[in-house]
Amino acid sequence: MFGNGMTGDPASRISDLLVPKASFFTWLDSLRERLSIIGPVAEEGRAVFREIASSGELYMEYESTMLSPGKVYLCSPREDLFRLSFGKGLSIEEPPRDSAQRIIVGIHACDTNAVLYLDRTFLGTFRDPLYEERRRNTILIALNCGTASKNCFCSSVGTGPFLKVESGYDMLLTDFGEDYLVEIKTAGARRLFDVDDIRGAGHEDFRLKDEKERSALRTFTKTINTEGLNKLLRENPEHPVWRHTAEERCLSCTNCVMVCPTCFCYDVVDEISMDMKTVRRYRQWDACQDTRFAEVHGGNFRARRSARLRQFVTHKLDQMHQYGVSGTVGCGRCITWCPTGIDLTEMAKQVQGK
Amino acid sequence: MNPLRPVKAILKKIRRETADVKTYTVQVGEEFPGELSPGQFNMVGYPGVGEAPLSFSSLRDDGCIEHTVRVVGAVTASIDKMTEGDELLLRGPYGQGWPMDRAGAGDLLLVAGGLGLAPLRPVIREVLKNRDSFGDVFLLYGARNEKNLLFMDEYEAWRKAISFHLTVDELVTDERWSHSVGLITGLLDSVKFGGGKTQAFVVGPEMMMRFVCRGLMMRGVHPSKISVSLERRMKCGIAQCGHCQHVGFFVCKDGPVFTYKEVAGLMDGLL
Repeated sequence: MFGNGMTGDPASRISDLLVPKASFFTWLDSLRERLSIIGPVAEEGRAVFREIASSGELYMEYESTMLSPGKVYLCSPREDLFRLSFGKGLSIEEPPRDSAQRIIVGIHACDTNAVLYLDRTFLGTFRDPLYEERRRNTILIALNCGTASKNCFCSSVGTGPFLKVESGYDMLLTDFGEDYLVEIKTAGARRLFDVDDIRGAGHEDFRLKDEKERSALRTFTKTINTEGLNKLLRENPEHPVWRHTAEERCLSCTNCVMVCPTCFCYDVVDEISMDMKTVRRYRQWDACQDTRFAEVHGGNFRARRSARLRQFVTHKLDQMHQYGVSGTVGCGRCITWCPTGIDLTEMAKQVQGK
Repeated sequence: MNPLRPVKAILKKIRRETADVKTYTVQVGEEFPGELSPGQFNMVGYPGVGEAPLSFSSLRDDGCIEHTVRVVGAVTASIDKMTEGDELLLRGPYGQGWPMDRAGAGDLLLVAGGLGLAPLRPVIREVLKNRDSFGDVFLLYGARNEKNLLFMDEYEAWRKAISFHLTVDELVTDERWSHSVGLITGLLDSVKFGGGKTQAFVVGPEMMMRFVCRGLMMRGVHPSKISVSLERRMKCGIAQCGHCQHVGFFVCKDGPVFTYKEVAGLMDGLL
């Protein structure tokens, strides 16, 4: 337990430091005995977040990953909920919890914001103990982005390329060439970060940070104008863009949902053992693009492909009354991984008449 | 405590209502929370078949709750095969029920289609128990035919306390029928309720609710005073699994009872 932002540590700046990258990675390596370190690694030409054995494996200059580390490591793609048995009477057992202590290093601003979004689902009215335990045991070391990828539009939705929120994660890195600007956000992270080779960051350093942000902002090619979009989409549920895009291009493959860092939906499945004595009840990621997702007896509220596509897109760009924030963090993964290149920013533009 | 963890309950009594509907009296232990309100639901299930949302057809009598269930899918089919004394799993209660605090403000109109009578039965019982706290109460109930009527042995008691109007879409037996035949919207003209202060609780198939709500509006009931109970696919009941999402609402948490004003005209719905 390290007390990341979720546990209520003050959001104010605890300390801002300049740390040589070599010293930072040496520190990171020193934690490996106690913690599992998850970070971006280049594998077959693409970056992927996985556990590392040494910081030498890290590929911190990565642009984007197919899956966000927050969703993979906090909302497990599939996990057991209960073991049920019939026997002489029904019994309900909970499997051992995943209590691994983890660091996720190098999580981009968009994906850090996505974790804060997932908190709204799993730490809201009903708290999910499996998510909560993993969240509590995970230190998030965020990384500001220096360059936008082709499909990034976080700068249009306020979630990047530089992270603006002050709490909910533990540390924030900005690449200063030989050094990292390290902004420590929680008391737990400050206790953990025992590096000698540091100096306090001053005004000049933050001026340089601002300059780097402006430079990063100039690399964006994809934008979306969210002004009035929430209302506009709601008022145009029958806009032809839904039907055209769905009929001409959408395959209902669910890729968009699976790669989306804020998509939280899950299915619950009962699997009966071969000896018919026990049942494993597990949950796994589910997708509103699946035909049967909204099916009830006697009907299916989203039987049409266009209705399912519209549900995904409006859940990202509209429906803000759900949590009071937008459902998109602008990571662009749904665009990148759509086999037919459906682009929600283009659909929004069509509804906006641009 | 994992909110997805079900508790064990015992089937104390099974009463057949119609060919495919039974009412199950279920004894719940102390693990099950005490506060229930009409219109809420449980996630009910059995190992190996999963869980399904079922509304209460009775709250708590002698530590028991009731669910009135039609066989439509895997979970309900497995419940249908159970016998008295069997165990099942459930968790709840979930969701926002009927706005009972507003039900006594003026006349109360209860409109049920088919199995929709089940989630209104706790309201009827509440009215019968505290009759003086309510104004004129009307129950309009429409069933497919006379063989599909629920809770028949309770009608006499209901009639003594409230104005009860019954219709069936069609008659399928030769037995004498002294009530209406036709759609439930046809009953709206047979009751005289008192305008502006009237609260209406409507539940049934979504298409039926669409026309009943419109009919009520034409007769002067404000959309914010009409409540409807929605049915959506649910896996969790606790605003996480996302299946029941309806344009930003979680039907399980924000509903299943909504005012008609909140949900009228929303995409992917029939209201």
